[in-house]
Amino acid sequence: MGKNISFFKGFVSLALTCASVITATSCSSGGNIENGGTKSHVVVAGSTSVQPYMEVLAEEYVKFYPDSAVDVQGGGSSAGISAVGSGIADIGMSSRSLSESEVELYQFTTIAKDGLALIVHPENPVDNLTLEQIRDIYTGEITDWSQVSDQFEGDIFPITREEGSGTRSFFEEFVMDGQRITSKAIVQSTNGTIRTLVSGNARGNKQAIGFISLGVLELPGQNPVKGLQIGGVAPTTENLANGSYELFRPFLVVVGEEREESTHFIDFILSDTGQGLLEARGLVRIDGG
Amino acid sequence: MEKYKIEIKNFNFYFGEKQVIYNLNLKVQANRILSVFGPANSGTTTLLRSLNRLCELNPELRYEGEILLDGKSIFDSRESVTQLRRRVGMVFEVPTPLPMSIYENVSYGLRLGQGKSKAAIMEAVELSLKQAALWEEVKERLDAPAMSLSGGQQQRLCVARVLALKPEVVLIDRACSGLDPISTAKIEESMSQLKKEYTIIISPHNVQQAIRVSDRAAFLLMGHLVEEGTNDEMFTNPQDKRTSDYVTGRFG
Amino acid sequence: MKNFKEKLSGRVFLTLALFSILALAVITIFILVQGAPVIGKHGFAFIAGTSWSPGNGEFGILPMIIGSVAVTLGAAVIGVPIGICCAVFMAEFAPSLMRTIFRPAIQLLAGIPSVVYGFWGLLFVVPFISNHLGGLGLSILAGSVILSLMMLPTIISISEVSIIVLPSTYKDGALALGMTHWQTIRSVQLPAAKSGIVAAVILGLGRAVGETMAVIMVLGNATAIPSSVLEPVRTLTTNIGIEMGYAEGEHRQALFATGIILFVIIMILNISAQYITRNKSKSLKIK
Repeated sequence: MGKNISFFKGFVSLALTCASVITATSCSSGGNIENGGTKSHVVVAGSTSVQPYMEVLAEEYVKFYPDSAVDVQGGGSSAGISAVGSGIADIGMSSRSLSESEVELYQFTTIAKDGLALIVHPENPVDNLTLEQIRDIYTGEITDWSQVSDQFEGDIFPITREEGSGTRSFFEEFVMDGQRITSKAIVQSTNGTIRTLVSGNARGNKQAIGFISLGVLELPGQNPVKGLQIGGVAPTTENLANGSYELFRPFLVVVGEEREESTHFIDFILSDTGQGLLEARGLVRIDGG
Repeated sequence: MEKYKIEIKNFNFYFGEKQVIYNLNLKVQANRILSVFGPANSGTTTLLRSLNRLCELNPELRYEGEILLDGKSIFDSRESVTQLRRRVGMVFEVPTPLPMSIYENVSYGLRLGQGKSKAAIMEAVELSLKQAALWEEVKERLDAPAMSLSGGQQQRLCVARVLALKPEVVLIDRACSGLDPISTAKIEESMSQLKKEYTIIISPHNVQQAIRVSDRAAFLLMGHLVEEGTNDEMFTNPQDKRTSDYVTGRFG
Repeated sequence: MKNFKEKLSGRVFLTLALFSILALAVITIFILVQGAPVIGKHGFAFIAGTSWSPGNGEFGILPMIIGSVAVTLGAAVIGVPIGICCAVFMAEFAPSLMRTIFRPAIQLLAGIPSVVYGFWGLLFVVPFISNHLGGLGLSILAGSVILSLMMLPTIISISEVSIIVLPSTYKDGALALGMTHWQTIRSVQLPAAKSGIVAAVILGLGRAVGETMAVIMVLGNATAIPSSVLEPVRTLTTNIGIEMGYAEGEHRQALFATGIILFVIIMILNISAQYITRNKSKSLKIK
């Protein structure tokens, strides 16, 4: 009887110790910190397409306002928006327009325009495709390059982003017209890996086609890819700004309740400095400046 | 003069640096049973394993001297060692049934690359099992796994297996240690039958067994050959005091 | 005082052991709770359904099951013969200098992180396949090649041990009958070591089935049922890996349900391995 009690006591005390240690360590990480003249802290989460740009903005912002800290995380447009809803993030990034239900819950601001570029290997002689042709390639209806070109033949390897990606839903909305992307398409999870695949040097890479953010079409230091013209219109920032290029989408920031620190950061993004930064990286600024 | 089946001349044997057999000279007559006996670590097992070159499995072993089988050296590199081992068969101290059926065990040596017909193999299996005094006990269940036999039966199985290859010499290394007296007796009985066809060299597991079965005996003490001679000479009237001390049990 | 220390250490060890079991139970229950609703709702259509399209509410994981099976089997076809031959070589033929080099080298293979394997596969195996065999290179074959390398240490070390622990009497007995070394290996040692080798293979397979990071980079992750080893595919593990970051609601539950299926498969593999090795120690006893 005595043995059992002392064992129980020992177990309970051990468990209590562990519990208090865990609680103590979790209290100090992340989350909002009381603002009493100490650092302001903004957490931004969401679309991995917007993320690289947001990171540049955050870095610049902190230079201007050294008392602040901005954390930028990925997770996808949908995840970012719900993170705002649950309070985990202060600002959500989205590379797609909000759904009806989301519009009712959150406020959003457009910070830039992005385009979607269809890319092929530079050695692929095809320069120009119509939206219908691209759609047929991605539904699996067109399977050989010879069906869209008399200078090139071979299997077409379409590459797509994973379901849930903002870039993919952009593509599905603008190109697929309600039809499904073929289940035979290769799925990769970032702009970077798609770009790498399409620009690779093996035989198969030269027959691949993929879609990426227009902003990463030209990347110094990376293997070059060729952006296809859509219906004769090239994927350039000019064509995106003047509206002639069809595949464009807004980059949005989403907030829940008003927070002074978040608003301050968003103002910075919309300022000349912020917009200039985005423009330098291939996005189209929304201030028309 | 009787022709000698095996002649061992000036044979020295080393485990790495340690010498195990010293300048051994021994002649083995055909169709006789020779016991090579002595206390533990005297080199009896090593000697036996040299006769079929099984000692070569250990790369640290070295030897000097000659061993002749029918006048020809067994270490001659022109002779295949696998051929030698078919002529000089061995039964081990521990029963070594292969993980297969009784029939497969006995016929194992015959099946691989011999090109014999099934009928011929069956005949050979039956004959060997009879010679090993095991046939009556297993003839109904040749397909049973060899592992299901008792220790004594397994040992006789190993004898049958060796005999199936029709060797010329049979080496038996302490083949009855751990066996009950009945099994031991059966094996010893078959030995006296077998010597009509084969030359047998045994390393008996005790002196009494040597007395029971051998025609001639050789006493090995710490790697040295002390004395050898007929059964009578060795056990009733040995020349060397060490022999008589060992035989009478003064040391062991 | 000594008595107290004895009791205390015993209690501490017990508590720690209980924690590990607790952790296992928590994870298992979590996966079951999260994933069961999907299996309940879709039932057989979950496992047999051929279309995985969460955006459209379709959650058939048959293509992934086929993917896992194909990639793992392919790895076995490549890895098992090589592994067993290596094991035989190390146990029977290698001079001891070679053994002292090879053994740690093989353990090193096991220590390489799987993401490094994946990266290497992406840089070398995938373009190689694309250039010489066709397709984009992201394929079942690429995955199998990498997984076979990852299986090798398990297969080799356990098979080697299974051969080494065989009683030397087997070898002696066979050799004394005039069998050559190779004949002895083929007809006596390998059959005798069979259950150990089979267990090694099954354990290797278990590792392959659970592998995610190495193969996610080289498989192509298409959701269709593949029709050749040069086509891209998705396994149960990569399905979870690729979509977990984005999944919500029923989609997320479906991924947990995939996890349940994986759990079941790996448990079956591990239990079979244990069962086979348990049996083995019974049948080789010499009386």
